[in-house]
Amino acid sequence: MSTFLTYTILGLVLGSVYSIAASGLVLTYNTSGIFNFAHGAQAMFGTFLYWHVTERWGWPVWLALIVVVGLAGPAMGAALHAVIMRGLRGTADVTKIIVTVAVLLGTVYLAQWIWNPDEAHTVGMFFGAGAKITVGGVVVRYHEIVCLAAAVAIAAGLRVLFTRSRTGVVMRGSVDDPDLLRRNGHDPERAAMLSWALGSTLAVLAGVLIVPISGGGLDANALTLLVIDAFAAAMFGRLRSIPRTFAGAMVLGLAANYVLAYLPSAGTFTGNLRVSLPMIILFTVLVVLPQDRLRGAAVRTRERYRVPAVRAAAVWAAALVAAVYLYSLLLPESGVTTFALGMTFAIIALSLTVLTGYAGELNLAPLAFGAVATVVAFHFGVEGTGLAARMNIQGVLLAVVAAALVGGLVALPALRLRGLYLALATMAFGEFLSNMVLRDTTEHHLFGTTFTLFPDGSLVVPPLKVGPLDLRDGTTFLMTATVLFALIAVGLAALRNGGYGRRLAAMKDSPAASAMLGQNLVRLKLSVFMISAAIAGLGGVLMSSATGTVAQENFSFTGSLALLMLVVVAGIGYLSGALVGGLMAGVGSAVLVSTFGDLALANEGMATIYTALGHLVLVGTALVGMGVGRNPSGFVHDIIDGYRAMRDAKPVLYGAGALGAVLYVLALTDVIGTWTFALIALCAAMLLPVVGRSYLAERRTRPVPLELAGVDEPYTDELRARLDRELGLTAALEKGGARVTA
Amino acid sequence: MAEEAAPLLELEGVRAGYGAIEVLHGVDLALRPGSLLALLGPNGGGKSTAMRVCAGLHPLAGGELRYAGRKVNGVSAQDAARLGVCSIPEGRGIFPNLTVRENLWAATGTGARLADLEEKAYARFPVLGERRHQLAGSMSGGEQQMLALSRALGTDPAVLLLDELSMGLAPMIVTKMYETVAELVQGGLSVLVAEQFARAVLPIADTAALMLNGRVVAAGPPAEIEDRLSSDYLGG
Repeated sequence: MSTFLTYTILGLVLGSVYSIAASGLVLTYNTSGIFNFAHGAQAMFGTFLYWHVTERWGWPVWLALIVVVGLAGPAMGAALHAVIMRGLRGTADVTKIIVTVAVLLGTVYLAQWIWNPDEAHTVGMFFGAGAKITVGGVVVRYHEIVCLAAAVAIAAGLRVLFTRSRTGVVMRGSVDDPDLLRRNGHDPERAAMLSWALGSTLAVLAGVLIVPISGGGLDANALTLLVIDAFAAAMFGRLRSIPRTFAGAMVLGLAANYVLAYLPSAGTFTGNLRVSLPMIILFTVLVVLPQDRLRGAAVRTRERYRVPAVRAAAVWAAALVAAVYLYSLLLPESGVTTFALGMTFAIIALSLTVLTGYAGELNLAPLAFGAVATVVAFHFGVEGTGLAARMNIQGVLLAVVAAALVGGLVALPALRLRGLYLALATMAFGEFLSNMVLRDTTEHHLFGTTFTLFPDGSLVVPPLKVGPLDLRDGTTFLMTATVLFALIAVGLAALRNGGYGRRLAAMKDSPAASAMLGQNLVRLKLSVFMISAAIAGLGGVLMSSATGTVAQENFSFTGSLALLMLVVVAGIGYLSGALVGGLMAGVGSAVLVSTFGDLALANEGMATIYTALGHLVLVGTALVGMGVGRNPSGFVHDIIDGYRAMRDAKPVLYGAGALGAVLYVLALTDVIGTWTFALIALCAAMLLPVVGRSYLAERRTRPVPLELAGVDEPYTDELRARLDRELGLTAALEKGGARVTA
Repeated sequence: MAEEAAPLLELEGVRAGYGAIEVLHGVDLALRPGSLLALLGPNGGGKSTAMRVCAGLHPLAGGELRYAGRKVNGVSAQDAARLGVCSIPEGRGIFPNLTVRENLWAATGTGARLADLEEKAYARFPVLGERRHQLAGSMSGGEQQMLALSRALGTDPAVLLLDELSMGLAPMIVTKMYETVAELVQGGLSVLVAEQFARAVLPIADTAALMLNGRVVAAGPPAEIEDRLSSDYLGG
């Protein structure tokens, strides 16, 4: 009985912290329509601040609470709204998600930069861990009473705010129709800013409360994910109702503690289940709770994508293969390997282009499908041992099929869910997989066989060998991955131009309208999810074998989010967006950060500067992601538009081609380094549209010489005025419009 | 003709557009105090854009917007509302996820009291009183429009801007709505109505203006404009 009571109280305490975090989410979602993935990161950042002022500076707790929860929290929220979130009105769900994801990543990187993750940071309980009372044989700490009281007070307070005050009513109205709010004499931006400030305060409070009860250790990633568990509680209230959110949070807290108390503690199962329980509940709640009906009217968003022509896609694919081959000649062996890794990420990114860019469905866990495929390929496709080990083609095909089947399973909720809810469901699936399968290092006995899903927590994935094609060689691997990317990309372009692609586009714009036209939405969604998952699976197997040894971290939630973010930044509606985004995710940050890391190790004196630069690159990528709100179609769109306008500027194009050829020869003969070549080529490619535009502008505005004016065009007042001006006949003009008649 | 009172709301040579596309090419309009001006014309003529400009929701690219003779170019919609310009948008000017009472509460942003608003709204439209705790989005189209119009009843504005009041409503409801508007005008309110279906509003209008392709092509007594309507709608 005493065990039951103890775990019940612990569960209620955990639930109350979840409730505080979740009500902050509900608050911001209801007033701005943005589901804040960065909520956990804000909690984390605030808690680190709290640690800093109490431990490092030795401030008393009450002062720290006033400054951190009372001032820094609201300031952080208000700043977020003013700088980023207010620019997100009228954008698609994926853009809104990506921007908050970018804030999440950026905040985590920033925190790891400021507070070294290798040092221990601990936050103590209020009144100390020793301050406690005993009720009915159960010990309750003061800190836990504070948690419970705060949760109840906040839930009641928010309920009153939302339904019994005009400010709350206006806040709720601002998500429906900001213009109507203006017509009513309110400022919707003020209401939204207030809600962001409040939401951020609640996040910080939840962070400060939860760290001591979950062990006291402060870790940027772990704390961010801990608050993400509160998403499940918010979903209980369908992101609207505060009382139901409160109840959901309590269920979540209790369930987590009962699992610990009553399930057998042998093996990794119970621990893993405890960790993934919130995600399982989130998934279940999403699928079971009644959801919004299909939206009838199409919602116009600010994203614009052009449809690729198959012929153009084929030409560009061939050009890509050629360019990659030529470039690989310049690279050292290690460079080729990294490049190949980037290309495998680009293949995974293609799965997002077809799913999100073409069909408008969301998937926040593309790497999870890669993980499924990798596990299958590892168990069924490896031949030989040691250095002679190879992956066979049957293994890869089986892996792709398995990924497609799992994709179909995940699509089942997608048949009912849209937009944000679907994104959360895929996130829950990815986290569940990462916690249950990729951490499953114990032996299982099933149907007379003994196996381990993820032995030793890591898998050694050998390269593929098909007939004479052996991918052990770096260049062969790179070229195979590139050719695969090109083939899939051309295939997707063909798909998009065909009837199936048009049906997908119709479903994206208006599910209701396309259902009325007799389309089978179930089959469409299921098939596009399976196609996408198969591509992600193929890319995942290749990615694993390019990496060599993969562990849970290779398929982490943050990894998936970073990939998705970079693809959206580049342009998720474009095949080239997948290429650029995937390369950036696979190569970009890894290479830059490790380069700076190596430099820091090599030069002791400059170490701090190089480490700082490495951190800056990471934070910088996140900053780029936050900029998506300004340019939701992605930067590839702008570059393509720039080049499209240059078709008339032939001399500039020829000049650029010649410059490229010269640079390449110089690089091949080692006159300039590979990096110099890559940087100059990249800058030239980016700057070319600008040069072309100024060239075209100059050609267009070159004035007609005075003596030829009016010869081959009608004689207008404007021309007369110019003649007068040039001839010095100003007096005629100044006489109030009296003109010299011809 | 006697000296006319200075207009309460005036557009002069107003140009406005969306991005590179200009929609209003120099619009002139004047709303006299205590009168009802009907802005007529087919779809795509620029009526709604003109109404948005008047309400302070759309920026001007040229010309002048005047309230009571004072130039107010660039006024924000919330300031316009506080100055006494009550504007009801096309479609339903309500918050669907708030209850009827909460909608009225939101309408007190211009300084009115909730109790007054409720009293006037429920007296005029008793059905709203019965549904005060119902979500506004779950009411019928007519009831939603009544709720939208209630804002004009209770907040005591100087000018009322109505955009397509009749959209999607049964003729009987439309008649009832315009009866309410007519009473408001008798009470001294100045009203600018943009309306596609001229028959609904012409009987109660003091003046009418016909808008085609972003210009006011005719303005004058309703009877004169009515004669031009058929030719401009069908042939113009």
